[in-house]
Amino acid sequence: MAVVLALSQSWAQQRTITGKVTDDKGSPVVNASVLVKGTQTGTVTKADGTYSLNVPANAKTLIISSVDMEPQEHSLGSEATVNATLKAADKTLSEVVVVGYGTQRKKEVTGSVSQINGSKLKDQPLQSFEQGLSGRAAGVNVNIPNGVLGNPPMIRVRGTNSISLSSAPLIVIDGVPSFSGDAGGTASNNLLGDVNPSDIESIEVLKDASAAAIYGSRAAAGVVLITTKKGRQGRARVNYEAWVGWTKAYGLIDVLNAQEFTDLKNEGLTNAGTPPNGTTRGFYTMTDANGNLIDTRWYDYIYQTGFAQNHVLSVSGANDRTNYYFSAGYTDQKGIFVNNTFKRMTGRFTLDQKVNDWFTVGGTFNYSSNRNNGLNTGSTGAAFNTSGQARLGFALAPNVSPYNPDGSYNINGQTIGQGKNLTVLAFTNPVLLLDLNRFQSNGERILGNAYAQVRIMKGLNFKTLYGIDHLSVVNEEFRNAIHGDGNQFNGAVSNTLQQPFRWNWQNTLTYDTRFATNHGLNVLVGAEQQYTKTDTWGADRRNQTDPFFDEFQGGFIDIVPVNNTWTENFLQSYFGRINYDYKKKYFLSFNARRDGYSAFAEQWGTFYGGSAGWTVSEEDFWKNSSIADVMSTLRVRGSYGMVGNFAGIGSYPYQTLFTGGLYGANGAIFFNQGGNPDLTWEKSKKTDIGFSAGFLKDRFTAEFAYYKNDISDLVLAEPQSPSRGIPGNSILRNVGSMVNKGIEVTLGGNILQKKDLTWSASINVTTLKNEVTALSNNNADILVSTGGLESPSLVRVGESIGSFLAIKSTGINPANGQRMFLKADGTEVQYNHAASAATRWTKVSDGTPVSAPGQVADGVVIGPALPKYFGGFDNTLKYKGFDFNLLVYFSGGNYVYNGTKAGLHDNRNWNNAKDNLDRWQKVGDVTEWPRVVFGDNISNGSGQVISTNVEKGDFAKIRNLSLGYTLPQSLVGKVKLSNVRVYVAALNAWTFSGYSGFDPEIQSNGESVANQVTNGAPSVDRNSAPQARTFNVGINIGF
Amino acid sequence: MKYIKTSILFLGLLAALSCHKDKLTPEPQTQILVDVSFATPEKTLAAVNGVYAGAKVGQIYGGRYYNYQDSRGEEFLNETANGVTQLQTWNFTVTPTTNEVQNFWAAAYTAINRANIVIAGIDQAPISDALKNQYKAECRFIRALMYHALVTIYARPYWDGNGSKPGVVIYTEPQTQLGENQKARSTVAEVYTQILADLNFAEANLQSNNGSVSLNVTRAHKNTAIALKTRVYLYMGRYTDLITEAAKLAPQATAPFSTTSGVTHALQSNITTVFGAGGQTPENILSFPFTANDLPGTQNSLNQYYSPSATSSTATNPCTACAGNGDYSLNIGATGIVSNTGWTANDARRQFNQLINSSTRTWLRKWTANTDYVPAIRYAEVLLNYAEALARVNGLDPKAISLLNAVRKRSDPATTLTPTTSDELINMILTERRIELLGEGFRSRDLLRLGANIPAKGTAPSITPASPQYIWPIPQSELNVNKAVAQNTGY
Repeated sequence: MAVVLALSQSWAQQRTITGKVTDDKGSPVVNASVLVKGTQTGTVTKADGTYSLNVPANAKTLIISSVDMEPQEHSLGSEATVNATLKAADKTLSEVVVVGYGTQRKKEVTGSVSQINGSKLKDQPLQSFEQGLSGRAAGVNVNIPNGVLGNPPMIRVRGTNSISLSSAPLIVIDGVPSFSGDAGGTASNNLLGDVNPSDIESIEVLKDASAAAIYGSRAAAGVVLITTKKGRQGRARVNYEAWVGWTKAYGLIDVLNAQEFTDLKNEGLTNAGTPPNGTTRGFYTMTDANGNLIDTRWYDYIYQTGFAQNHVLSVSGANDRTNYYFSAGYTDQKGIFVNNTFKRMTGRFTLDQKVNDWFTVGGTFNYSSNRNNGLNTGSTGAAFNTSGQARLGFALAPNVSPYNPDGSYNINGQTIGQGKNLTVLAFTNPVLLLDLNRFQSNGERILGNAYAQVRIMKGLNFKTLYGIDHLSVVNEEFRNAIHGDGNQFNGAVSNTLQQPFRWNWQNTLTYDTRFATNHGLNVLVGAEQQYTKTDTWGADRRNQTDPFFDEFQGGFIDIVPVNNTWTENFLQSYFGRINYDYKKKYFLSFNARRDGYSAFAEQWGTFYGGSAGWTVSEEDFWKNSSIADVMSTLRVRGSYGMVGNFAGIGSYPYQTLFTGGLYGANGAIFFNQGGNPDLTWEKSKKTDIGFSAGFLKDRFTAEFAYYKNDISDLVLAEPQSPSRGIPGNSILRNVGSMVNKGIEVTLGGNILQKKDLTWSASINVTTLKNEVTALSNNNADILVSTGGLESPSLVRVGESIGSFLAIKSTGINPANGQRMFLKADGTEVQYNHAASAATRWTKVSDGTPVSAPGQVADGVVIGPALPKYFGGFDNTLKYKGFDFNLLVYFSGGNYVYNGTKAGLHDNRNWNNAKDNLDRWQKVGDVTEWPRVVFGDNISNGSGQVISTNVEKGDFAKIRNLSLGYTLPQSLVGKVKLSNVRVYVAALNAWTFSGYSGFDPEIQSNGESVANQVTNGAPSVDRNSAPQARTFNVGINIGF
Repeated sequence: MKYIKTSILFLGLLAALSCHKDKLTPEPQTQILVDVSFATPEKTLAAVNGVYAGAKVGQIYGGRYYNYQDSRGEEFLNETANGVTQLQTWNFTVTPTTNEVQNFWAAAYTAINRANIVIAGIDQAPISDALKNQYKAECRFIRALMYHALVTIYARPYWDGNGSKPGVVIYTEPQTQLGENQKARSTVAEVYTQILADLNFAEANLQSNNGSVSLNVTRAHKNTAIALKTRVYLYMGRYTDLITEAAKLAPQATAPFSTTSGVTHALQSNITTVFGAGGQTPENILSFPFTANDLPGTQNSLNQYYSPSATSSTATNPCTACAGNGDYSLNIGATGIVSNTGWTANDARRQFNQLINSSTRTWLRKWTANTDYVPAIRYAEVLLNYAEALARVNGLDPKAISLLNAVRKRSDPATTLTPTTSDELINMILTERRIELLGEGFRSRDLLRLGANIPAKGTAPSITPASPQYIWPIPQSELNVNKAVAQNTGY
């Protein structure tokens, strides 16, 4: 009876609650969960955000929650309607980070992982996303080497991690290790530029062994995981983003005008004892048809203000079964150099579908098509090319014009036309080359993957993923017959097709459980296979049948094969990871990977990493103490492990090989590669100790880490004595070692949190000490050359890699205007180019002849060339609808070799910087520049490397700057849009530095040159292109 | 449900764990593993061709080698002041790190190592013993040619201490893997001993005739080895031995001279036919071939160095086939051979000079295209070697005068040289060498073997035999690794 009464009472005491759940922008939240607290009674909201729930009469509280949103509790009174406005979940230490083959909650990660939100890369005038990464993550230094479109930025995680192999991190896009680097020829083609920055959700950088060892033999330089956007719960979101921008070179150095040039060079001739004589020697100005003095500013012909535009349209959405994201983008950018353009079209579609509650499938399809137009800037390894446009801008004589009075190009064979000058000039006519030559690199890329995931039982998931990275890049270069590099062939056009292809198949099994209340376990085991093939072929057609032909398919007489290579390699791996936690206070993690790689004779290697962490702030003693009021979070952690590197070693490096060639018209084969069957991976033992803390309920955060990378088994080309006759005079051996260590500090916080005004800031600083500890050949020094011709950079045991070896210059002798140098034995010597060859070098003390100083015998080491510290200072202010962001990227403690300065003070027929007018002229002059003597290429540092050209490289740059305004909801709602933001932004707005060259961030040896040069010759500025300053104005519209 | 799930898991695991052993050991598809390089007769012949190809790279006979030897002499003026095109060699400011010093050494030894590898590997080839010996002889010939090129620029001349001064490093075993890098320099005499041993083996085992005009010009045969021996003996000052060898190639007592055994060699009546792409005449004992697909390389060819560029052609001084870079013009000053009155105006060899740009520059026109063959040994040189040896041993030797006039009259039929003293004869022979072999890499070597001063030209100074710059330094790249090598005095 009582039961029946109770039952009927409960039936009779049910009531219906209805309501609507919205987010803080007023949009309905679909699939939000509405639950009676303490029961299983609940429902979910419909597509319009409304719900209807029958609750027992004694129900007291409803819990309303949704993915990514803070749950809310509402107490039930007598009302029948309960609405809720949910706020986005607080994003500090509780967010999720992507780690290899999975994700982990940030506050549980014990390895060292930096996360950069994709929103930081939006709405900026970037050509490729790496340009937006400088200064955003401790330990990650991203350097933009110059302003040429298509030139890849250099990413370095915790220092330079190799000498002969690549020091760039492994790039993984949506789980598939992808091709990166420069695929172009003379025109650069940055492969990472294929990823549209607007498509990026987040970037994680795995820095230590615990985080990165899951990638084993490829992790020594760090791993960059790029995750692209997926749909968000709720109704479909449609977004349109567009910006237009302008870019210009900055920092161009003033050079002499026509009269100054003519007078100074003639002074040089006179001082050399061969004064201008009006018949065979001398420099003379000339006038044009109207009688005006010809005074050419060559910069005006080479540089321009480039205009760019960018459009992206995206449609995305998700419900409880399906998640999709579609985006299409188009960008058309012109760079700071005439003829430098970049056009890209991208299309991306991703879909995840829950077929039923244990089976999910999905995939991503990325298509990118780009067109890079370039020119010979001399910035991709050809620093001394006589047609390098960057050098032509400041080295050409200003007293001649690019054109003759009749409008034809002013040329004299393979040199710029003489004008009225009698002494022979040098270098080519850049206007002719820009007009007639063509350098292109055009690519098509498909990056795609498909996966299936099966929930075998609670906590146990199996996932199989198959991905491909398929590229097709065509490099075309036309060099005209009249002038420049094509002249010796009577016109030549080369066409090369590269088709790198990769497939990757991963199978993983994960088990996630909590047992015995306090213990958490997450286990991953997996197997992976990866096949990579690169098939490149091309030819150079030469000797035009008619000047009309400039396409490969046109009329040419000769054809020569070029760039033909065929390589393939295979990687087979087994890996696993265990994450354990006790009471979410104590964490342990261990991961290991066994890789078999086809490029080595001994194919298999094992790599591992382990870490431990302790969330001190979860301890009762902490929670109960007064410290917790101030320091709300404290976690300490440490890790150690060993990972490897083989990037850039090629596919058959250990074998002894013959290759085919020609002897006249007959076939020939010859010894081409000395082999080493013991060749294996480089190894990096990484140690990492640090802590992270939050203050005042995590309003302020601090992170600290000490890192040490002990790199051994570095592959070095062990120099063989050239008399042994081994091709390249070297054989690869695992023989070097190097150490990178330093600390990382990141501080951040919400400084102001008022109602209408917020200001949050974050600063990160990383220090780096790099030291080479062993080399081949009994630790013999390696001098690394830039452009194949000048070697200021030294790799020496006990020094930072790439430090400079320069002969010390002690200034200009006021008595005679000669530059003075210091030899190793302490003798001060001076150089006089006007004297006879045997007496050019004399002692300063008494003028007696002495032998010349040499770089190896007398040079002093000036270093480091790698920055001792670098970092970023990021500020975001919001006031009502306005938002302002400023990122300062700073770097310093190192030196830069300003080889361009040597060229700008050269006493041959090259133009000079304006400050060369301050040269020594009479006894007693105290000056920075010596007496000009024509033909002297020693005093300025062209003939040998001198300390005058090694400068401090400290700088601070306003790297990213933006000001935006989000239109108020009232306005926007009227036109049925969900949000509109307009903004202006700048990249490289300003540089603060004492460097006398174009810019201290410049690298002549970026990612487009051989690895040993990129790693061994950093911070070299030799005839390099300048940097670009870019502004853009844009709008984002959410429909 | 469970059945489907577990079978998916099973298939997945099976796929995941399947090993691809064959994929882990891929063979290169465009290069040949060393173990199979001599497996067939075709590969073996290709390997021999590879040895010749090593000697004709841009750094050596592709062009730079001749320019190194000639720009050190007084016949050329540097026009472009470019360190990349031997400015420092020309004005005697080379150091052990100068590019040409390091690059030439490395290229010559690469060619020598190719020869050593083929000599050692030939025994595995499935060919007859006679053919094996012939191929070995060809490799040894190239090896001798390379060692002679090295020892005449990096070491003191033979007369200095009678060959006792340090020479270059000698390797006769193949070097293909990590191994011993320390090896001392042999003496000049030891290097010449090795050269002669190689050439004597070559003479004994090369074919008398390779079977076609093209093979006789581009590959060695008996007469090629004998001709090189005459040159080697000249540089050693062993004139009597030279006479013995040269007699095999010019047995006649008076002109016209020609070989009577093996391949026929004789002077061509028109000197221009000896050069250019068509240079495969009986006068060419050895030339290195070039084609549009097999060029000397950028900034390496003799055409690039010595030919002016197309736009320097003017109406008054037109220039046909001028497609070079104009790095070196002929020295028209008093010390140059161009202004020597002994070289008459009507001499056909004068057509190899051309006047351009009014009165200021004269250019050498022996090479006008990058595909022109480079003559390494010519019959005219053999006759001049013979004449000089006869003159030095016998004084006013009638055959010597006859040989001299044979070379002279081929280009200048109107002139007959009539020396009256042995000194005058020797001077006329030396002058004839300068005229005949202009630009072919002999001048500075001839000055060195005679112990003469290198005269000044343009802004470059004169160099005495005692000066360190008389010879090149051993390259720094060698000294860095091979500590057993001693540097030349003064560097």
